[in-house]
Amino acid sequence: MSKALKAKDQLVRILVPAGKAAPTPPVGPALGARGVKSMDFCKEFNARTAHIEPGVPTPTLITVEPDRTFSFITKTPPTTYLLKKTAGIEKGTGRPGHEVTGTISLKHVYEVAKIKAKDAHLKHLKLESIASTVIGTAKSLGLQVVP
Amino acid sequence: MMFLLLSRSSIRRPVFSPRLARGYVAKSSNTERIPNISAKDTSAAEEKTLSSCPPGTILEGLNYLKGQPPVIALPDDEYPSWLWDLLKPKVYEDDGPGGKAEKKRLRKENQQRIKDQNFMKTQ
Repeated sequence: MSKALKAKDQLVRILVPAGKAAPTPPVGPALGARGVKSMDFCKEFNARTAHIEPGVPTPTLITVEPDRTFSFITKTPPTTYLLKKTAGIEKGTGRPGHEVTGTISLKHVYEVAKIKAKDAHLKHLKLESIASTVIGTAKSLGLQVVP
Repeated sequence: MMFLLLSRSSIRRPVFSPRLARGYVAKSSNTERIPNISAKDTSAAEEKTLSSCPPGTILEGLNYLKGQPPVIALPDDEYPSWLWDLLKPKVYEDDGPGGKAEKKRLRKENQQRIKDQNFMKTQ
Protein backbone atom coordinates (compact mmCIF):
# COMPACT_ATOMS: atom_id res chain seq x y z
CA MET A 1 0.00 0.00 0.00
CA SER A 2 2.70 2.48 0.92
CA LYS A 3 5.28 1.12 -1.51
CA ALA A 4 4.79 1.62 -5.22
CA LEU A 5 4.02 -1.89 -6.47
CA LYS A 6 6.25 -3.04 -9.28
CA ALA A 7 5.09 -5.77 -11.60
CA LYS A 8 4.58 -8.89 -9.51
CA ASP A 9 6.66 -12.03 -9.73
CA GLN A 10 5.03 -14.49 -12.04
CA LEU A 11 4.59 -18.06 -10.88
CA VAL A 12 4.53 -20.93 -13.32
CA ARG A 13 3.56 -24.40 -12.15
CA ILE A 14 4.58 -27.07 -14.59
CA LEU A 15 5.09 -30.82 -14.66
CA VAL A 16 8.35 -31.69 -16.42
CA PRO A 17 9.86 -35.16 -16.95
CA ALA A 18 13.13 -35.28 -15.01
CA GLY A 19 16.25 -34.83 -17.14
CA LYS A 20 14.20 -34.31 -20.28
CA ALA A 21 13.38 -30.63 -20.42
CA ALA A 22 13.40 -28.41 -23.56
CA PRO A 23 10.55 -29.80 -25.64
CA THR A 24 8.81 -26.90 -27.27
CA PRO A 25 5.15 -27.74 -26.66
CA PRO A 26 4.94 -27.96 -22.87
CA VAL A 27 7.85 -25.91 -21.55
CA GLY A 28 8.74 -23.48 -24.35
CA PRO A 29 5.59 -21.35 -24.69
CA ALA A 30 4.84 -21.44 -20.95
CA LEU A 31 8.18 -19.86 -20.16
CA GLY A 32 8.72 -17.91 -23.36
CA ALA A 33 5.49 -16.00 -22.82
CA ARG A 34 6.96 -14.66 -19.61
CA GLY A 35 10.27 -13.72 -21.15
CA VAL A 36 12.42 -16.58 -19.89
CA LYS A 37 14.88 -18.24 -22.23
CA SER A 38 13.83 -21.87 -22.22
CA MET A 39 17.34 -23.19 -22.96
CA ASP A 40 18.70 -21.67 -19.74
CA PHE A 41 15.90 -23.15 -17.70
CA CYS A 42 16.24 -26.55 -19.32
CA LYS A 43 19.98 -26.79 -18.73
CA GLU A 44 19.60 -25.86 -15.10
CA PHE A 45 16.60 -28.15 -14.62
CA ASN A 46 18.36 -31.13 -16.15
CA ALA A 47 21.39 -30.48 -13.97
CA ARG A 48 19.27 -30.36 -10.83
CA THR A 49 17.28 -33.48 -11.67
CA ALA A 50 20.30 -35.51 -12.73
CA HIS A 51 19.97 -37.70 -9.63
CA ILE A 52 16.40 -38.67 -10.53
CA GLU A 53 15.54 -41.50 -12.90
CA PRO A 54 14.92 -39.88 -16.32
CA GLY A 55 11.30 -39.51 -17.33
CA VAL A 56 9.82 -39.26 -13.85
CA PRO A 57 7.35 -36.34 -13.86
CA THR A 58 8.65 -33.62 -11.55
CA PRO A 59 6.40 -30.76 -10.50
CA THR A 60 8.30 -27.51 -10.55
CA LEU A 61 7.37 -24.04 -9.44
CA ILE A 62 9.14 -21.34 -11.46
CA THR A 63 9.21 -17.80 -10.13
CA VAL A 64 9.84 -15.21 -12.86
CA GLU A 65 10.83 -11.80 -11.55
CA PRO A 66 10.04 -8.56 -13.38
CA ASP A 67 13.62 -8.31 -14.63
CA ARG A 68 13.18 -11.71 -16.32
CA THR A 69 15.43 -13.63 -13.97
CA PHE A 70 13.97 -16.86 -12.77
CA SER A 71 14.34 -19.33 -9.96
CA PHE A 72 12.61 -22.64 -9.52
CA ILE A 73 11.86 -25.30 -6.96
CA THR A 74 11.41 -28.98 -7.73
CA LYS A 75 9.18 -31.24 -5.71
CA THR A 76 8.67 -34.98 -5.27
CA PRO A 77 6.78 -36.84 -8.01
CA PRO A 78 2.97 -36.67 -7.85
CA THR A 79 1.33 -39.11 -5.42
CA THR A 80 -0.90 -40.48 -8.17
CA TYR A 81 2.15 -41.27 -10.30
CA LEU A 82 3.84 -43.14 -7.43
CA LEU A 83 0.68 -45.07 -6.60
CA LYS A 84 0.03 -46.04 -10.21
CA LYS A 85 3.58 -47.33 -10.56
CA THR A 86 3.37 -49.31 -7.31
CA ALA A 87 0.00 -50.84 -8.16
CA GLY A 88 1.08 -51.46 -11.74
CA ILE A 89 -1.84 -49.64 -13.35
CA GLU A 90 -1.76 -47.18 -16.23
CA LYS A 91 -4.73 -44.99 -15.39
CA GLY A 92 -7.07 -44.41 -12.49
CA THR A 93 -10.80 -45.05 -12.81
CA GLY A 94 -13.34 -42.65 -14.20
CA ARG A 95 -15.69 -43.78 -11.43
CA PRO A 96 -13.88 -43.92 -8.08
CA GLY A 97 -15.78 -45.72 -5.38
CA HIS A 98 -17.65 -47.81 -7.92
CA GLU A 99 -14.82 -49.42 -9.89
CA VAL A 100 -11.74 -51.07 -8.40
CA THR A 101 -8.53 -50.86 -10.43
CA GLY A 102 -6.14 -52.62 -8.07
CA THR A 103 -5.11 -53.41 -4.52
CA ILE A 104 -2.43 -51.83 -2.40
CA SER A 105 -1.07 -52.68 1.01
CA LEU A 106 -0.50 -50.30 3.93
CA LYS A 107 3.22 -50.99 3.52
CA HIS A 108 3.09 -49.43 0.04
CA VAL A 109 1.25 -46.46 1.52
CA TYR A 110 3.95 -46.08 4.16
CA GLU A 111 6.74 -46.04 1.59
CA VAL A 112 4.94 -43.53 -0.63
CA ALA A 113 4.33 -41.32 2.41
CA LYS A 114 8.05 -41.50 3.24
CA ILE A 115 8.87 -40.18 -0.22
CA LYS A 116 6.31 -37.38 -0.02
CA ALA A 117 7.53 -36.36 3.44
CA LYS A 118 10.75 -35.09 1.83
CA ASP A 119 8.79 -32.18 0.32
CA ALA A 120 9.31 -28.79 1.92
CA HIS A 121 5.61 -27.98 2.05
CA LEU A 122 4.85 -31.19 3.96
CA LYS A 123 7.62 -31.25 6.50
CA HIS A 124 5.48 -29.78 9.28
CA LEU A 125 3.04 -32.72 9.06
CA LYS A 126 3.25 -35.99 10.94
CA LEU A 127 4.01 -39.02 8.79
CA GLU A 128 0.67 -40.42 9.97
CA SER A 129 -1.18 -37.45 8.42
CA ILE A 130 0.74 -37.75 5.17
CA ALA A 131 -0.10 -41.47 5.05
CA SER A 132 -3.83 -40.74 5.44
CA THR A 133 -3.66 -38.30 2.53
CA VAL A 134 -1.97 -40.97 0.44
CA ILE A 135 -4.81 -43.37 1.28
CA GLY A 136 -7.29 -40.70 0.15
CA THR A 137 -5.45 -40.34 -3.18
CA ALA A 138 -5.42 -44.11 -3.61
CA LYS A 139 -9.18 -44.20 -3.13
CA SER A 140 -9.66 -41.54 -5.79
CA LEU A 141 -7.70 -43.71 -8.22
CA GLY A 142 -9.98 -46.68 -7.44
CA LEU A 143 -7.26 -48.56 -5.58
CA GLN A 144 -8.36 -50.75 -2.72
CA VAL A 145 -6.17 -50.31 0.38
CA VAL A 146 -5.80 -53.38 2.59
CA PRO A 147 -3.72 -53.76 5.77
CA MET B 1 -60.45 -90.38 42.67
CA MET B 2 -58.30 -93.51 42.52
CA PHE B 3 -58.49 -93.55 38.76
CA LEU B 4 -57.11 -90.02 38.67
CA LEU B 5 -54.17 -90.95 40.95
CA LEU B 6 -53.30 -93.89 38.74
CA SER B 7 -53.41 -91.78 35.62
CA ARG B 8 -51.05 -89.18 37.16
CA SER B 9 -48.40 -91.69 38.08
CA SER B 10 -48.58 -93.20 34.63
CA ILE B 11 -47.91 -89.83 33.07
CA ARG B 12 -44.83 -89.17 35.26
CA ARG B 13 -43.08 -92.45 34.46
CA PRO B 14 -40.41 -91.72 31.81
CA VAL B 15 -41.17 -93.20 28.43
CA PHE B 16 -38.22 -94.40 26.39
CA SER B 17 -39.12 -92.54 23.23
CA PRO B 18 -36.70 -91.95 20.35
CA ARG B 19 -36.88 -88.18 20.98
CA LEU B 20 -35.46 -88.44 24.51
CA ALA B 21 -32.77 -90.89 23.42
CA ARG B 22 -31.59 -88.52 20.69
CA GLY B 23 -31.32 -85.67 23.18
CA TYR B 24 -29.05 -87.62 25.53
CA VAL B 25 -26.78 -88.74 22.71
CA ALA B 26 -26.28 -85.19 21.45
CA LYS B 27 -25.22 -83.85 24.89
CA SER B 28 -22.66 -86.53 25.65
CA SER B 29 -20.78 -86.29 22.35
CA ASN B 30 -17.27 -84.75 22.43
CA THR B 31 -16.97 -84.12 18.71
CA GLU B 32 -17.86 -80.41 18.96
CA ARG B 33 -14.96 -79.46 21.25
CA ILE B 34 -12.10 -80.65 19.07
CA PRO B 35 -12.80 -78.37 16.06
CA ASN B 36 -13.05 -75.37 18.44
CA ILE B 37 -9.50 -75.84 19.70
CA SER B 38 -8.04 -76.01 16.20
CA ALA B 39 -9.97 -72.86 15.18
CA LYS B 40 -8.42 -70.96 18.11
CA ASP B 41 -4.90 -71.98 17.08
CA THR B 42 -5.29 -70.80 13.48
CA SER B 43 -6.90 -67.49 14.52
CA ALA B 44 -4.01 -66.79 16.92
CA ALA B 45 -1.54 -67.43 14.12
CA GLU B 46 -3.49 -65.15 11.77
CA GLU B 47 -3.66 -62.32 14.32
CA LYS B 48 0.14 -62.15 14.49
CA THR B 49 0.53 -61.22 10.80
CA LEU B 50 -1.03 -57.77 10.57
CA SER B 51 -0.32 -57.22 6.91
CA SER B 52 -1.34 -59.01 3.75
CA CYS B 53 2.03 -58.02 2.27
CA PRO B 54 4.66 -60.53 3.41
CA PRO B 55 8.13 -59.19 4.34
CA GLY B 56 10.57 -59.28 1.46
CA THR B 57 8.06 -58.24 -1.19
CA ILE B 58 9.56 -55.80 -3.66
CA LEU B 59 7.55 -52.57 -3.81
CA GLU B 60 7.90 -51.51 -7.43
CA GLY B 61 8.16 -48.02 -8.75
CA LEU B 62 9.19 -46.36 -5.50
CA ASN B 63 12.90 -46.25 -6.32
CA TYR B 64 12.64 -43.16 -8.50
CA LEU B 65 16.20 -41.96 -7.86
CA LYS B 66 19.00 -43.11 -10.13
CA GLY B 67 20.81 -46.12 -8.82
CA GLN B 68 18.42 -46.55 -5.91
CA PRO B 69 18.04 -50.19 -4.83
CA PRO B 70 14.49 -51.58 -4.98
CA VAL B 71 12.32 -50.83 -1.96
CA ILE B 72 11.57 -54.01 -0.02
CA ALA B 73 8.73 -54.58 2.43
CA LEU B 74 9.94 -55.04 6.01
CA PRO B 75 8.52 -57.36 8.68
CA ASP B 76 5.34 -56.05 10.32
CA ASP B 77 7.10 -55.15 13.60
CA GLU B 78 9.36 -52.61 11.94
CA TYR B 79 6.47 -50.38 10.89
CA PRO B 80 5.01 -47.86 13.36
CA SER B 81 1.95 -49.06 15.25
CA TRP B 82 -0.28 -46.24 13.95
CA LEU B 83 0.01 -47.63 10.44
CA TRP B 84 -2.34 -50.51 11.19
CA ASP B 85 -5.03 -48.17 12.52
CA LEU B 86 -5.14 -45.97 9.42
CA LEU B 87 -7.92 -47.90 7.73
CA LYS B 88 -10.15 -47.97 10.80
CA PRO B 89 -12.53 -45.03 11.35
CA LYS B 90 -10.83 -42.41 13.46
CA VAL B 91 -11.85 -42.43 17.14
CA TYR B 92 -12.06 -39.12 18.97
CA GLU B 93 -11.70 -39.07 22.75
CA ASP B 94 -14.80 -37.89 24.54
CA ASP B 95 -14.06 -34.35 25.75
CA GLY B 96 -17.49 -33.84 27.27
CA PRO B 97 -20.18 -31.44 26.06
CA GLY B 98 -18.95 -28.93 23.50
CA GLY B 99 -15.78 -30.88 22.85
CA LYS B 100 -14.18 -31.90 19.57
CA ALA B 101 -15.70 -35.39 19.60
CA GLU B 102 -19.23 -34.03 19.96
CA LYS B 103 -18.73 -31.46 17.19
CA LYS B 104 -17.50 -34.12 14.78
CA ARG B 105 -20.37 -36.41 15.64
CA LEU B 106 -23.02 -33.71 15.27
CA ARG B 107 -21.60 -32.52 11.94
CA LYS B 108 -21.56 -36.08 10.62
CA GLU B 109 -25.15 -36.66 11.72
CA ASN B 110 -26.31 -33.36 10.21
CA GLN B 111 -24.61 -34.10 6.90
CA GLN B 112 -26.14 -37.55 6.78
CA ARG B 113 -29.58 -36.15 7.56
CA ILE B 114 -29.28 -33.62 4.74
CA LYS B 115 -28.20 -36.34 2.33
CA ASP B 116 -31.14 -38.51 3.34
CA GLN B 117 -33.59 -35.63 2.91
CA ASN B 118 -32.13 -34.79 -0.48
CA PHE B 119 -32.46 -38.39 -1.54
CA MET B 120 -36.07 -38.58 -0.35
CA LYS B 121 -36.89 -35.48 -2.40
CA THR B 122 -35.86 -37.34 -5.54
CA GLN B 123 -38.23 -40.20 -4.77
